[in-house]
Amino acid sequence: MLKKKPPVLRHFLSLVSRRANHLARQQYDVIVVGGGHAGTEAAAAAARVGAETLLVTQKINTIGALSCNPSLGGVGKGQLVREVDALDGLCGQAGDWAGIHFSILNRRKGPAVWGPRAQLDRQRYREFIQSELLSTPRLTVLEGSVEELLVTEPDTAEPGHHRVTGIRLVNGSHPISASSVILTTGTFLSGSLFMGQTTSPGGRIGDAPSSAGLSHTLRERLGLRTGRLRTGTPPRIVKDSVDLSLAQIHPADSHPTPFSFLNKHTRCKPEEQLPCYLTSTTPGVERVVRESLHLNHHIHEDTKGPRYCPSIESRVLRFPGRSHQVWLEPEGVTSDLLYPQGLSMTMPPDLQLRLIREIPALHRAEIYTPGYGVQYDFVCPTQLSPALQVKSTQGLFLAGQINGTTGYEEAAAQGLWAGVNAARCAFDLPPLALSRTESYIGVLVDDLVSRGVTEPYRMFTSRAEFRTSLRPDNADLRLTLKGFEEVGCVSPLRYQEAVRVRDSLQDALSALQTLTLSTHKWRQKLPDVCISENKNTTVSGVELLQYNDASFEMLASAFPESLSSYLEFSQRLKIEAVYKPHCDMQRKEIERIQKEENMSLPQDIDYLSLPVSLSQEVREILDRVRPSTLGAATRLQGITPAAVVNLLRYVRNTEQKERRTHRNQPHRKEEREEREEELCARKASLPQ
Amino acid sequence: MFPRVGRGMWRAAVLTLTSSRRTPACRLLTTRDCTPPSALADAETIFSLSSGHGRCGVAVVRVSGPSSATALQCMAGLTHHLPPPRTAMLRSITDPIGKEVLDRGLVIWFPAPHSFTGEDSVEFHIHGGSAVITAVLQALGSVPGMRPAEAGEFTRRAFQAGKLGLTEVEGLGDLIHAETEAQRRQALRQMSGDLGRLYQDWSHRLKRCLAHVEAFIDFSEDELIEDGVLNQVDTSVSCLRAEMEQHLKDERKGERLRSGVQVVIAGATNAGKSSLLNTLCQRPAAIVSPIAGTTRDIVETALDIGGFPVLLSDTAGLRDSSDLVEREGVRRARERVEQADLTLVVVDCAHVPTDAQQAAAFLQGHLRSVLPAQEPTDTAFPADRCLLVVNKTDLLPEGERQKLDTELRQVPGLPPVCLISCHTDEGLQDFLTLLHSSVKTLCGDPLSGGPTLTQARHRAHLQQCVAALAQYKMYRDTDLALAAEGVRLALTSLGRITGRVGAEEILDIIFKDFCIGK
Repeated sequence: MLKKKPPVLRHFLSLVSRRANHLARQQYDVIVVGGGHAGTEAAAAAARVGAETLLVTQKINTIGALSCNPSLGGVGKGQLVREVDALDGLCGQAGDWAGIHFSILNRRKGPAVWGPRAQLDRQRYREFIQSELLSTPRLTVLEGSVEELLVTEPDTAEPGHHRVTGIRLVNGSHPISASSVILTTGTFLSGSLFMGQTTSPGGRIGDAPSSAGLSHTLRERLGLRTGRLRTGTPPRIVKDSVDLSLAQIHPADSHPTPFSFLNKHTRCKPEEQLPCYLTSTTPGVERVVRESLHLNHHIHEDTKGPRYCPSIESRVLRFPGRSHQVWLEPEGVTSDLLYPQGLSMTMPPDLQLRLIREIPALHRAEIYTPGYGVQYDFVCPTQLSPALQVKSTQGLFLAGQINGTTGYEEAAAQGLWAGVNAARCAFDLPPLALSRTESYIGVLVDDLVSRGVTEPYRMFTSRAEFRTSLRPDNADLRLTLKGFEEVGCVSPLRYQEAVRVRDSLQDALSALQTLTLSTHKWRQKLPDVCISENKNTTVSGVELLQYNDASFEMLASAFPESLSSYLEFSQRLKIEAVYKPHCDMQRKEIERIQKEENMSLPQDIDYLSLPVSLSQEVREILDRVRPSTLGAATRLQGITPAAVVNLLRYVRNTEQKERRTHRNQPHRKEEREEREEELCARKASLPQ
Repeated sequence: MFPRVGRGMWRAAVLTLTSSRRTPACRLLTTRDCTPPSALADAETIFSLSSGHGRCGVAVVRVSGPSSATALQCMAGLTHHLPPPRTAMLRSITDPIGKEVLDRGLVIWFPAPHSFTGEDSVEFHIHGGSAVITAVLQALGSVPGMRPAEAGEFTRRAFQAGKLGLTEVEGLGDLIHAETEAQRRQALRQMSGDLGRLYQDWSHRLKRCLAHVEAFIDFSEDELIEDGVLNQVDTSVSCLRAEMEQHLKDERKGERLRSGVQVVIAGATNAGKSSLLNTLCQRPAAIVSPIAGTTRDIVETALDIGGFPVLLSDTAGLRDSSDLVEREGVRRARERVEQADLTLVVVDCAHVPTDAQQAAAFLQGHLRSVLPAQEPTDTAFPADRCLLVVNKTDLLPEGERQKLDTELRQVPGLPPVCLISCHTDEGLQDFLTLLHSSVKTLCGDPLSGGPTLTQARHRAHLQQCVAALAQYKMYRDTDLALAAEGVRLALTSLGRITGRVGAEEILDIIFKDFCIGK
């Protein structure tokens, strides 16, 4: 069921009271800076894990704003939304609340690569996220701008190592202290906006630029390496000025599929969904781009933009003489605007108007707000641990575009994981990592921290080696149970549901497995399924489901007494059956990788002087990237098998030494257990 | 107890590393071609020759993994029980499918965890001839669940099981380094040739196939990626499959070229077989005496015949003997003839009747007695598998020699004939020319036609590659994710020969070939 939202008025009242309430408090477990997709998930996750959390954002009413496209999910991205939801994050349910056009992309290409996607109502999305955050226990929201990140002086024992102690706000007299700080500043870190020949500081049009103090601290005091990336957004177009009869209409799925595992329905009724429209560029568009090049500063810059979400300028320059698709997407139920996906541009506004009017459907279109480009700093993510903590600064976490990614879903996934670990860090619990063998979140984080980025990073299904096991349909089985039992970021309600689903699926699959008949019998029972005549063996129900034209419903109607109780899982059972042989096959490889990932490399190794046989080149790579596990090290470019073996030996050696030390200090483990118990007690005492 | 890994044991591990790449596995996948793709990943039990290559008295073949016990039982004729752990046992080693005896040797059973790798392991101590080794390795490959070990895999398993202590493992990195260095140099050598170009070309085409399928999966909903892209992939994939299958049908010519053609000298006692060996290798490698039955065991020597590697074996003269040692020699000789690529049947010209017709009948009968039994309908001897050498022509008067030569050439149903004298080297040049052309046929000419497979390991990976491409076809219309998985597996298999392919590389091709933008 969809959650009932509190009325808007009430939530603003509660907001005010919280702000007043906060003033008394100057100490938090976790502070999150930024209220975008990463920040909101981070704050909510930290609070769910049990941390007293503060979210600082420039404007409370832009929390949960969709800065660019009004949509969520897609191929690869939809998997991330499902996984964030499986870990009880916000964006899946927010998408179900705000969605106005649901469709599963890649419907014909196999369930492993299905891409759940929705067009969103911007207003509803923001409302949902804001009211959700404001009703989250242990979470305080504060409007303000961060002046400075507070860190300790470098540790004398470990030069270059700091510890975060809190933040200081602009105009704030007192520092606010915290054990962990998560920076989710998006495009605001030294951000500049580009339109035509004008440049102004900022991360999003209409919002004040963030303080220079933050990027100074990151670069100068903490010595973090940064790079510069760019992105852009298209002009928004007045809907009434568009001749939609000249565009091709694309209706939504007739049965909207919710993102969240908790929802059976979306808020939007199937018949209320709004369509999208498809149109395309003309040679005139290319002409305008070429004529305006000298007036377009953004396009001349050397910074890297996303290859897969390029501006219309780079599209026509890279692939001239072609027609490019432009999607016209609704911005909301009551919105008068359309979002022209594919027309991100940075030329002067008058030329933007000339350009869009070269497209037949837009020949009389009016621009509501022009498109613009953004350039911003990102922190090279190889300086982070798989918990998204800055390796050299204890308690400092980064998530979202600041790590060089692009996209709401990528940001949300990192935010959630950083939130979980920031809370653990505050409680002195060891960090947790998700493996790339179990989730797209793991793939995302591992790619970032072990390979770094050279262009804005976006998720694709082809990045996940174990794509056929990491499907959107089974994200709950992969993550919800672990999220409750090990991570503590999942509510009991969601956990119980996941357990019910797991048990039912297991029961159904074993019922299907025991249902073994000869092919002759199957042909009699299910005449609609083409079972080869010359095959004369026994076939189990699971194997039968692997036939293209067999469905679980067919089997359930043939064997109602044993199967009809599982009808609600028809689709999942069909998918499980079809993918079973492939997943079984992948399991061995997954186990091998997990074994390597379980061998962690200490973060304080001095690779340059490590007394093992390593080439200078390998030492430098390891020193730069500091892989956290042996598995991550093997995936680095330039690491030889010899180096891996030597590292393995080193790990074994240290493990043995540690075991010896542990024997001498048995109280350490007890201490940790006490902390875990304390955390549980604390969570139990608080309202969910 | 075995797991005490000392310096000597360590050396064995080294040998595993250097030898496992060459493990022949020709039968491994032919038995699996029709099994579903899931069987490919279940191959968890590995085997490899653990002693060095080349001539040696005893060779050790090591097996490790869950199917070790099965392999031991079906190859050592132990149906219901296993030998006592870590105790050497003399057994006949048989082929699990053909049931023929391959060798007689020691088998040792090391149940987990008390083995080098910590897993169930078996060692076969067999005779060191390369034919025996090849036969045993091939037989192991035909046991379900078995595959040849990757370089260093035994050591890696041992390491993961904690079987190698820190001091023992000292230097392991450098060793593997040396290994990879050697591999790299070797790969470089191989990769710069035609074969390398062929594999690189396949790899490149497969990468494009995968990139195009991935582009279709990840971007086609948003982008103008026409369905035609997939049709192109279909054509490329079936082309690649056909080319690889053709390449695999080379009857092991390339491997023969790489590891040497097995040429066996056989015949009656005192026909001059050992003299022929000595003449060919130009040194007294085998003892020669006028006493019949001088050669008892196999004498092997490696030769270069016109640029082709040849492993020449001299065998005991074939006759019924009451001498136990000689009987064993004759048995070994027959066995060796069975495994030969080419047999040189040597006849003393004094035994050849002077009458042409009688001579033909005599020689045909003689060939039948020396060569392994042919199909009853098959009267002609395969010309490329046998040469008839009539020796001691110096004992014949000149006229008779000519006459015999002319007559024998006219007899139908005889293999190519050569009249030589090991004593005077008469006819030797002609014989060498004939031998060279036979060896050349067996190896194939590496310079003409398509390049041939040179390594059994390559064969195994290519076979996996072909099987994976079948998965593409199987799922092309129903589940593109699983179809793409097939291409990905194929590329991974090929990547084991040409080098690893990462996701980034695929994305680079996608962005080069398509205009992608939301």
